Amino acid sequence: MGAATQQREVLEELRRQIRRMERRPARREGVLACGRPEVEALLPGGGFPRGSISSLRGGPASGKTFVALSALREAQAGGGLAAFVDGRGELYPPAARALGVELARLLIVRPEPARAARDAVLPGLWAAEVLLASGAFAAVAIDVPLRDVSPARAEPLLRRLRAAAEKGGAAALLLSGPGDPAIPAALRIDLDAVRLAEVDHGA
Amino acid sequence: MAPERGPPRVLAVVVPALPLQRVLRARPPAGALAVVSEGVVRHATAPALAAGVRPGDSLVQARAACAELEAVPLDDAADRAALRALAEALLSLSPVVEVAHPGAVLLDAAGARLSGSEPEAAEQALAERTLALCSDMGFRGRVAVADGKGVALALARHAGRERTRAAPGEGALALAPLPLGALGLPVDVARWLSALGVESAGALAALPAETLAHRFGAPGAAAGRLARGVDPRPLVPFVPETFPHERWDLEGEVGVLSSAEPVLFAAKRLADRVAARLGGRGLGASRLRLTLFLDPRGEERVDVPLARPGADPSLWLAPLRERLAGLRLPAPVCALDLAVVEAAEVPAEQLAVGDRPEVARALDVALSRLAARLGEHALFAAEAADRHRPEAAYRATPFRRGVAARVAGPGSGDGAPGPPPGRPTRLIVPPRPVVALGEGGRITSLRVDGATRAVLSLAGPERLAGEWWNEPFDRDYYRARLEGLGEAWIYRDGRDGRLWLHGLFD
Repeated sequence: MGAATQQREVLEELRRQIRRMERRPARREGVLACGRPEVEALLPGGGFPRGSISSLRGGPASGKTFVALSALREAQAGGGLAAFVDGRGELYPPAARALGVELARLLIVRPEPARAARDAVLPGLWAAEVLLASGAFAAVAIDVPLRDVSPARAEPLLRRLRAAAEKGGAAALLLSGPGDPAIPAALRIDLDAVRLAEVDHGA
Repeated sequence: MAPERGPPRVLAVVVPALPLQRVLRARPPAGALAVVSEGVVRHATAPALAAGVRPGDSLVQARAACAELEAVPLDDAADRAALRALAEALLSLSPVVEVAHPGAVLLDAAGARLSGSEPEAAEQALAERTLALCSDMGFRGRVAVADGKGVALALARHAGRERTRAAPGEGALALAPLPLGALGLPVDVARWLSALGVESAGALAALPAETLAHRFGAPGAAAGRLARGVDPRPLVPFVPETFPHERWDLEGEVGVLSSAEPVLFAAKRLADRVAARLGGRGLGASRLRLTLFLDPRGEERVDVPLARPGADPSLWLAPLRERLAGLRLPAPVCALDLAVVEAAEVPAEQLAVGDRPEVARALDVALSRLAARLGEHALFAAEAADRHRPEAAYRATPFRRGVAARVAGPGSGDGAPGPPPGRPTRLIVPPRPVVALGEGGRITSLRVDGATRAVLSLAGPERLAGEWWNEPFDRDYYRARLEGLGEAWIYRDGRDGRLWLHGLFD
């Protein structure tokens, strides 16, 4: 009887330890590779830092989506899930698939036009915050029309986003245009349409 | 030699004074209150009993004893529904459950032995879990485990203890001190026997079976068998017919609610009960409906889509909170009803190596919150579609963690043919008009969105046409590198020759 009790206690202690380990936040260290050596060579650490925001800024066809999708593919290759918050409703999944992204493991969040009409930015940023903070995604790309938001209003939203990325440990890739407010990011990349065009645009 | 098969082990759970408990479940600790049927008091609360009210009293007598007595009419349909709800929840503990109105549910306890521990410990554990589940559903119960349902039921109803266990073969011994009424004998037969000095089940068991059958017919013979602990009748399985819902009338207990947070708190209590009932059936809710009844009239319905079917109430709260947060209540809430409107079997899901339950749970919570706030169609996974029309070359499918986890390594695809090369990362829907400017029949620049941009290179065309049976299209696509913009996907509409910007190689 005593032995049985002792065994139960040991098992219970092991369960407690497992629960404790499982409760630990999903910290992911290091960087998320981009999957394009020519781009990785330009990045400090060779990739996008996990647990923080990386800003990809460029014009409408500068290649920022291409770089983001390549990073999402790498996140999937590492066994993680990836998400794309498509606040503009422009992401074309066949191109993502051509780049090697597994569509079944890519969550696309596209706020419905009727809901987004009033404010296209807030639902997108809120969705990104939820996804980043969940700890369930290895990488989240965020494409929302930040230009429509005043810098004063954007700042607290982006700060929340950064905190969520830190909490969940995901690499957050925030796509923005040249006229968008400055983003408090750990890494900022400005993409130039003409020079990136020299890189094989995939597909 | 085949092992001898004993009578079935049955756990009976009895909810004493179910009509009263059901009424009190949705009220604060009541003062003097009685459940009344046909002008007669059936059950009364402790304050009413202390004031001299007795079950069996007429309402007039009861009121004479206790002037402030509140009389609540007996609602047999509601009592039966409450018992069925309890039986539904108990399905999570046993595969076979029988509803034994009034106020009892029977469980097949044979499965308890499969848990690996000693039969006695296993049955005790089952009894504890049954009582705990009863409590979760808002009832105080009494349980008994014995051979056969008649014995278990008699012990649960009449042994006067919260937990009773008769070891296999000892049913008669456990029943012996109980009064004849515990055996379900007709009143006149019990009176007869009592007059003969037979007043307990033990005394009845000592009488010859033939005499009982001869003297009192089938009821007498059945009572004699039961008194000897013999009851081989199988349980009659209870199969729930509708999805569960639970209602809570707040007025009596907590008054009306005017803001989202207390409403959520109240909804949590209902969610626990609904989930217990649903989980017992191996089902998970995929859509909930919370109906808020307003004071003095009107109602608000809140539909809550869930990312995937589940019976874990804690996963329902995040999307419920999202939906309630955006709700403007025109009047205070006086009652709530939480119903499952869509459910599906919960698939036994195997986590992939490296998957952590916490992460899976976090994903479910996140998806449910997003679905509740943004709408179900705002979240999806794309799937390739075999269509030439670029805007129809993919379709949205539900994002399912299980499916996502099962897909093999990257690049494994989804079985559909690979996409054609040279597709833009962004598709402009609807396409935007483009004006071509040129010299000598050669395009030198394009005017897009009011800005004129020089064409640095132009590749194409790629002709895409078809769907003549539906909405025919005929397009020549070009990949144009534009100064200061990058690469754009432009097509010339074969029907009118106009140019359109359809995508960007961003």
